[in-house]
Amino acid sequence: MPKARSSIITIAKYTLMDQVRQKSFIIMFVMCALFLLLVRNCSQGGFMVNGQTLDNEAVVRVVLKAVFHINAAGTMFLAALFSMRVFKRDRDEGMQSCILSKPITRWQYVAGKILGLWVLSVAFMFILHSIVFIMVSVNLKVVMPEYLIASLLCSFNLLFVVVAVLLFSLLMPDIIAFLCVTGIGIVSFVADGIAAVSRSPMGQAMMQQSDSTSDLSLWKVIYYLWPKLSGIQQAASSMFSREGFQGFLSIYPFINILIYSLILGALLFWRFRHEDII
Amino acid sequence: MIELNAVTKQYGSFTAVDNISFSVQTGEYFALLGPNGAGKTTIVKMLLDFTQPTSGSLSINSVPSTQAASRTAIGYLAENHHIPPHLSGWQYLQRCAELLNINRSDATDQCRRIVKQIGIEGRENTKTNTYSKGMIQRLGMGAALLGNPKLLLLDEPTAGLDPIGIIEIRQLLESLKNQGMTIFLNSHLLSEVEKICDNAAIIHQGRLLVKDNIAALIKNGDTLEDVFVRLVKG
Repeated sequence: MPKARSSIITIAKYTLMDQVRQKSFIIMFVMCALFLLLVRNCSQGGFMVNGQTLDNEAVVRVVLKAVFHINAAGTMFLAALFSMRVFKRDRDEGMQSCILSKPITRWQYVAGKILGLWVLSVAFMFILHSIVFIMVSVNLKVVMPEYLIASLLCSFNLLFVVVAVLLFSLLMPDIIAFLCVTGIGIVSFVADGIAAVSRSPMGQAMMQQSDSTSDLSLWKVIYYLWPKLSGIQQAASSMFSREGFQGFLSIYPFINILIYSLILGALLFWRFRHEDII
Repeated sequence: MIELNAVTKQYGSFTAVDNISFSVQTGEYFALLGPNGAGKTTIVKMLLDFTQPTSGSLSINSVPSTQAASRTAIGYLAENHHIPPHLSGWQYLQRCAELLNINRSDATDQCRRIVKQIGIEGRENTKTNTYSKGMIQRLGMGAALLGNPKLLLLDEPTAGLDPIGIIEIRQLLESLKNQGMTIFLNSHLLSEVEKICDNAAIIHQGRLLVKDNIAALIKNGDTLEDVFVRLVKG
């Protein structure tokens, strides 16, 4: 077992190194960091409306939440981009046959790839969130460690994205695999948006007027079974915003994504086991 | 060392390997010969578990090839070997050594010895995208030699090489002969095989035509090429 673990870690290390050395990765990271530096003024406080000073902390929390969601969703998008060509690149550059001609099993190879891409994406997101955390801590003298914990909670989403893209890239062209997972993410965010509207007083009034209860229950089932990528971000951001813990509703997205990751992971291992190595 | 038992491999309705059985003994220099598309590479891929046989079984050192343990102490060189272009020769060898769980100091020693052996001294720290095809093949061969393997699986190691490159690979293989290594060589360069190997099998359209000692095959003043053409053309 220690030998298996060491093989997985070695493969993960080289996966990570091969991604980091790519120019596109460096450019994307620099662009994201620059974006965060552009919004640094928002965390300096001193907001006034009609001559009245606003509660700095409340405003900053709203801005922080927005930046948190943009960062987390953006990193999911980038994680999908990082993952989509991993198998193809390894195949084209001869590393797949090089690794698998050694006493390394296919599950170790796949596990190494997942681990490498996941650690890279989590580190990418965590560093970006840390930049925001530091800016807020320095400007407002408010330390919010829960912001960083929330960032780590979003790593569940990145695991799902990495596993899903790797699996889909074995079944379809890389770009389609990327678009499929991006589509799943977009539907998740849109569905949560619609759900939030439907829970508002206006939404409730509209639903009472319509008689389509049976149709709605079907949509509700689909809504709850759909990968809750947006739900995890909402639940994580509730740690530092003032929404608070909502019991099972806060935990459910994590269970949902974990189950999806396990199922897709199992399918990925099974599919790769039957893949011909070129 | 290598056992193939009634191995068949089908891709849809096409039979790439048709009920082949043979064995290769420890220390043997064995050549698998056949025209393009005869099924040579498919057999090597099945030995490495890169693809599964439709029926039959393969084993290396009595371990079924489906188990990763069968690939312990094996070196493999693919036809048209590829190396990540951003790595230097040294980095590639180090990476391969780490994947074999060779400890750091041993890996450095082995890599130094191999760099000398494959004749890329002085170029080992330049990126492999500046290497010639011959150098890439020799580097691939060097990587296959890491960890002191007992068996080398070489799939067309001289494919696409110029005569100098072919001679270099041949010399490298000859230098390994005294080390008791078993070599399984896929090739259609019959003159090279004749010089290096002890035994050969000829396959055509997935079927085994003959397996014998090369000296026995080329009796009566024939060359291996004559025997090959006669058998393949029927």
